[in-house]
Formats: sequence, structure tokens, C-alpha cells
Amino acid sequence: MEDISAYIESGILELYVLGDVTPDERQQVEAAAIKYPKIKAELDAIEKAMESYALEQAIEPSEHQRNRVLNSLLTNLADDKIFTKARIYTDDEDAKVVQLPARSVNFYKYGFAASLFLLVISIVAIIGLYGRLKQSTELITSLQSQNQRFSSQVNLMDGQISVLRDHSFRFIKLKGTPKAPASALTVAWSPQKKKVMIDMEGMKMPANDKKHQYQLWAIVAGKPVDLGLFDVKADTSGMKEMKAVEQPQAFAVTLEPRGGSVNPTMDAMMVISNI
Amino acid sequence: MSRRPKISLTEEELVRGLRQREKVAAEALYDMYSASLYGVILRIINDEPSAEDVLQETFIKIWQSFSAYSAEKGRLFTWMVNIARNLAIDKVRSKDFKNQTKNQELENNVTFIDEQRNTVYKPELLGLKDLVQTLKQEQRSILDLVYFKGYTHVEAADELGVPLGTVKTRLRMAIQQLRKQF
Repeated sequence: MEDISAYIESGILELYVLGDVTPDERQQVEAAAIKYPKIKAELDAIEKAMESYALEQAIEPSEHQRNRVLNSLLTNLADDKIFTKARIYTDDEDAKVVQLPARSVNFYKYGFAASLFLLVISIVAIIGLYGRLKQSTELITSLQSQNQRFSSQVNLMDGQISVLRDHSFRFIKLKGTPKAPASALTVAWSPQKKKVMIDMEGMKMPANDKKHQYQLWAIVAGKPVDLGLFDVKADTSGMKEMKAVEQPQAFAVTLEPRGGSVNPTMDAMMVISNI
Repeated sequence: MSRRPKISLTEEELVRGLRQREKVAAEALYDMYSASLYGVILRIINDEPSAEDVLQETFIKIWQSFSAYSAEKGRLFTWMVNIARNLAIDKVRSKDFKNQTKNQELENNVTFIDEQRNTVYKPELLGLKDLVQTLKQEQRSILDLVYFKGYTHVEAADELGVPLGTVKTRLRMAIQQLRKQF
């Protein structure tokens, strides 16, 4: 290019900046700008002038335009899927990174709503579970007491059965006197262990009232010895251990005033047996 | 709502960020250039809702075709303002826009046509600042035609009835004048 100044003066560079050139002219200008720094500098000056001109006449778009435009770009971003995370700009780069307050407020708003929703659901679930837990605990308590009852019953029955298995026990059947001919009672006595038991379950004795109690006697050397008191009710069961005795000759039961008597009331003898 | 601080980056930093399609770069781009571009667009279109649409289209196009920009070929703003101007001029020339404007201003039909043909500089229309009023009438009208009406210099020469060379010279003088001002 012979005359750079003439080229500049022609006004082609201004038209280039304004975008009013043919593709051929465009290439020509770009080639010249690379080749001649003076042309490049001139182009730069024109561009800066037009930019300042535009800045001088700048009109601020309304505030909501910013979100509208940026949203359309960011929607675009999501479509492109090539959006990279924002780099952190250091102070050296003389740049400020400003968080978008509106977006985070939205995030917290929805987050808060979701948390509240979950809280309500959790409370409902906890109340339901608490009710079931209470039911379960009650069930466990009742099963435990039932279990205890059973095990104590089993222990008791074990004790009773052990009497049957113990060969040292003798079973003496007491029969009804003329006063109570239907009565019967079995006494188990172990001479070795000096133990006396009465079978409460198998006995046939009329139930005593509140003022009276049955008293078991043993006849030892011709004299009655008190072996203890017992009551008879409709649902009486099991075996009852009475006082120990040595070498009884006979057993008898009398109906005595509540608390028992020192000597048996012979009139009120219900059952008796010899050994 | 409190005023949001504007993001500002150096042009180099901004170009790098836009290449990597960073969100902060998109925000900075808007904060740094939306007012300048909107000023140009609004002066071309002279209708706020349409100008806002074009502003949005402009940013989308800048964002989508950013790979086409090369810093070697010139300043970022030059590239962007040409996108904005082309979109705005297309809008003004579109059938829809003309119909819309006609419907709105049916009664002022004659005035409207006058304004369309009028190339005389009007401060109230363009809202140019005092600074630019130092431009000579002939310089302003040519810059107005090319910059805001989207005329090519050939069309402008025809419109003004002056030789092509004169149009180029006046355009250059107008820009020379601006260069002195800034």
C-alpha cells in the first residue's frame, strides 16, 4: 500500500467500524491493520470514539431487564451444557465477584418451605410411632407379668410333683366323720423329712365361713398336736405345707373358731385317719 | 429493593470469561454494556417494549456467537454494537414493526411518514447530549443516517444527494470531531 495516510483519509476505516463495508473491503482493512500499526492505531481510535459516543448517550434499561436477559442467557447455558462454574477472581485481577442475591433468596425460600413440609410430616410420623410404641410397651408389660405368673405356677407345680416323686412321702387319706361323711382329705407325710403337706386341690371339704378355720391335728402319743390352720374356698388349689411332726399316730381335722384352739373340739371333727 | 452493585471486569478478563461461558462473565457483560447498547437500540427503534426485546435478542446473539469474536479484529464493543444495530435495524424494517407502529399512530400517519423520511437531526428524538451538538449539521445528519437509521453510505449519498466521496469525508470528519471530544 503506497500511501497509508491516503488510505486512512479515504474514510474506509470509519465505514469498517460502522460495519458498512463489502466482504472484500473488510478483508483488505483487516490485512492492512495487521501490516501497518498506524492503521491499527487509527482503527482503535475510531472504535474508542464510537464507544465513548455510545457511552455518552447510554440509556439505562429498566431494572427488571437484567434478570430477563440473564435468565435467557442462563437458560441457554443449561441447553448448551457447556457452562462451567464461575472462576474465583482474585483482587489482583481487579475484579469483583458479586453473588446474585435474588437467586439465593429464592433458594432459601424454597428450602425453608421444603423444611417446614418435612417437619410437619415428621411430627405426624413421630406421633403415630409414639402411639404404637406405647401399645407395644403395654403389651410387653402384660406379657412379662403373664410370663411371671406362668413361671411361678410352674415352680409351684414342680414343688407339688416333687412331693409325688419323693418316695419318703406317705399319703394318708382322711375320711369323713359321721358329722361330715362326704369329706375327704389327703395328707402327705415324710417321716425322714418330718414334713407334712395337705392336698388342697383334691380335698373334699365344705368351705369355711369367716368366723371359723380348719385346724389339722396329729395324734402323737395319744395327745393331739396342732399342725396349723387352713381355709377352704371354692377355688382353693395346690398343696399347703403344715407344721412338722414326728411319729404321728393319726391325723384329724376339726373346724375351730378363727385363729385355732389349743385343744381340738371333738364335736367339730370333720375327717380323721389312722396311720 | 436495594441497588445491586454492578460487576465490572477488564475487557480482557471479560472476553476470557465469555469464552469459558462463565455466569459471572454474562452478568458483567450486561452490567458493563447494557446501557450503551440500549441507548443505541432505543434511538434506532424509538419504542421501549420493542427496544427491550431487541436488547434481549442482542445479548443472546452475543452469547451464542461469541466464538466468532476475535480481539485481533477490533474492540469488543464495536463487534457488539454492530450486532445490536443490525438487529435493531432489522426490527425497524420488519413488516410487523411497521404495522404495529402504523396502528398505534394511525391518526399521525402523515407525521409518521415524515419522520421516517426525515434525516434532519432532532435533539428531542435522539436525545443527544450537548457535547455532540458541537457536530456540524451535515456531519450529524450523515452519522445519524448511518449509525441510527442503518443506511449504507451509498444509500446515504443517494438520500442526501451528495457524491459518495463527500459522504465518506463527512462521516470521517464527524468521527474525527467525536475523537477530539472524548
